[in-house]
Amino acid sequence: MNESLIKLEQVNTWFPNEKRVLGKPASWIKAVSDVSLNIIQGECLGLVGESGCGKSTLGRAILRLAPLSSGEIQFMGHDIGKLSAKGLKPFRAKMQMVFQDPKASLNPKMTIFKILSEALHLNSRVAKENYLEQSVKLLDLVDLRPEHIYRYPHEFSGGQQQRICIARALATDSRFIVFDEATSALDVSVQAQVINLMKNLQDKLKLTYLFISHDLSIMEHVCSRVAVMYAGQIIEVQDAGSLFNAPRHPYTRALKKAVPVADPESGKELGILKGEVPKLSDPPSGCHFHPRCDYKEEICSKKSPVVCKTGKKSWVRCHRHEQLWKQEVLKT
Amino acid sequence: MNKSVLNKKPEFASAGEPVLQVKGLNVAFNTPRGQAKILEGVSFNLFPREILALVGETGSGKSVTAKSILNLIPGHSRETKGQVILGGKDLLSMSPKNLQEIRGKRISMVFQNPQSSINPVFTLGEQIFRLIRLYLSDDIKAVMQKNHCSQKQAIESIAREKLNEVGLTDTRRMLKLYAGQVSGGMAQRYRIALALLSSPEILIADEATSALDVTVQAHILKLMRELCGNKQTAIMFITHDLGIAAQICDRIAVMYAGRIVEIADTKTIFKNPLHPYTRGLLKAVPKLGKNEPLSFVPGMIPDLTNPPPGCRFHRRCDKAMKICSEQKPDNMKLEDNHAVSCFLYNHKK
Repeated sequence: MNESLIKLEQVNTWFPNEKRVLGKPASWIKAVSDVSLNIIQGECLGLVGESGCGKSTLGRAILRLAPLSSGEIQFMGHDIGKLSAKGLKPFRAKMQMVFQDPKASLNPKMTIFKILSEALHLNSRVAKENYLEQSVKLLDLVDLRPEHIYRYPHEFSGGQQQRICIARALATDSRFIVFDEATSALDVSVQAQVINLMKNLQDKLKLTYLFISHDLSIMEHVCSRVAVMYAGQIIEVQDAGSLFNAPRHPYTRALKKAVPVADPESGKELGILKGEVPKLSDPPSGCHFHPRCDYKEEICSKKSPVVCKTGKKSWVRCHRHEQLWKQEVLKT
Repeated sequence: MNKSVLNKKPEFASAGEPVLQVKGLNVAFNTPRGQAKILEGVSFNLFPREILALVGETGSGKSVTAKSILNLIPGHSRETKGQVILGGKDLLSMSPKNLQEIRGKRISMVFQNPQSSINPVFTLGEQIFRLIRLYLSDDIKAVMQKNHCSQKQAIESIAREKLNEVGLTDTRRMLKLYAGQVSGGMAQRYRIALALLSSPEILIADEATSALDVTVQAHILKLMRELCGNKQTAIMFITHDLGIAAQICDRIAVMYAGRIVEIADTKTIFKNPLHPYTRGLLKAVPKLGKNEPLSFVPGMIPDLTNPPPGCRFHRRCDKAMKICSEQKPDNMKLEDNHAVSCFLYNHKK
């Protein structure tokens, strides 16, 4: 069961900066730099980070929706990194995406049936005459009623629209779905409904998810493993449970401290992380986090840290993580 | 950050006279489908030096409440009833000219998207200088006398001092920038600095941190908490995030479909929530370090052009009784600081 569905090897996605000298870009915006990651079959991998850290770009790069500057992407054992648009087609159906704003990602002029039929067209297992039957089945999967099928997107609430988006993502018989801030625009109560639905579907259909969000507190409810991203790099991957109980990277610690807790008696004080997010066109030398880090040493500004394994499926990228971990253990 | 400021005990009970009283606020919009009763009898008091959170789902009327206080909703197709009393005067029946004296001066507002509430064609400096000339003419004179400098220099030094107060650094450079050139967190801090220039009695923050990252949000929340302690400003904090409410607010008012269903101090709301809606809302909050399936309130917010009869929540309520669909529940005061509008607690009255 520990087989990886997706394997990323040193993936880079760079965008040319607007200023051009003699036709060549003067500099690059390094939205994703040097990311190596495994997504295991049947897991839900979370991806957290501040806005502008490149998490959405990474999600899109995996689906080959964003350009791949260098590196390798393997999907179900096939290298899809260098495939042409035509060669990608059979894989496109297997990997789908659900976006933040459901209203904007559903065509307002199409009925739900038409929206789902378009996606079903990619699914070779379903014959054209069975589209209606299959659409009703899909709606049933996401807890919508059959009579909804001839309605238009605007007749639904935000939560229901997001369910339709999920149904559409399932229509192509996909194995892998990227949720890009899919619940961020929803109210807590609706968010809880959509998340419970996502988890049920994952169990039922044996799906693999990449769940991108800036909301740490939701990660633990949804994901089995979480990757933390900072300034284009993944700096820590951990089991969801231990990430928040025992974060290794100083940045993860800072994030955890900044999350407000819905319990007035927790006595928690919000921790403040000094400084600003670095520009991706000109990231700091060495470890990208060092200008804001409380534990930095000389080496941090000179050498980029390497990946250090901390468990079977977890790792951290920090020069000082071992020392910091020992201190933590001694304290408790 | 010293602990005493962040964990300030709620002092509102002894704070005496409220600075702002909202009494029976009703707002209705005329829509093509009929009149939508957006607010129905919203009443609450805001005391000096407290942070009151207004929480609820999208469409529960939080922002309409805030905007109605300053009469910021365009008048056509709208009907407003009720009273908003600041210093003995009703803001809703005030002339536009008099109200303009209060907007920004005695009651300031900070909105969700900082970049769009700053004028993009003027530099940040030009905008803050204009407000300083408007509100702080005495300070300008004092600084001119003290430093023997020109008026322009005095204004700039005041501006930089005010920006420092909200935790902004490198202010000399910042004054020359435009709204689009600064990050969201910086823009929001700048907005707060503008809102506080006139030393307002009340600051209304409408989802002021919702568009920001957690790390930046932590900065802004800390700033608000300090303001409340140091400057005696009362803050009305509109949010959908119960974590924020628990972290910095003294009291919480829970809104549902245009009514305040429960209001109490923060500890009581979290420890002893009474209204079924408050209970449902609290259970739906994802918590760090607890991996349980999330529960939720079934159904969704009703269509306000045709609200359910009686209690507006009864169709989603798991404890609904016969009376709930027939009569509207009153707002009942159970203890000093705890009021709820639900028939379940009628016998305790």
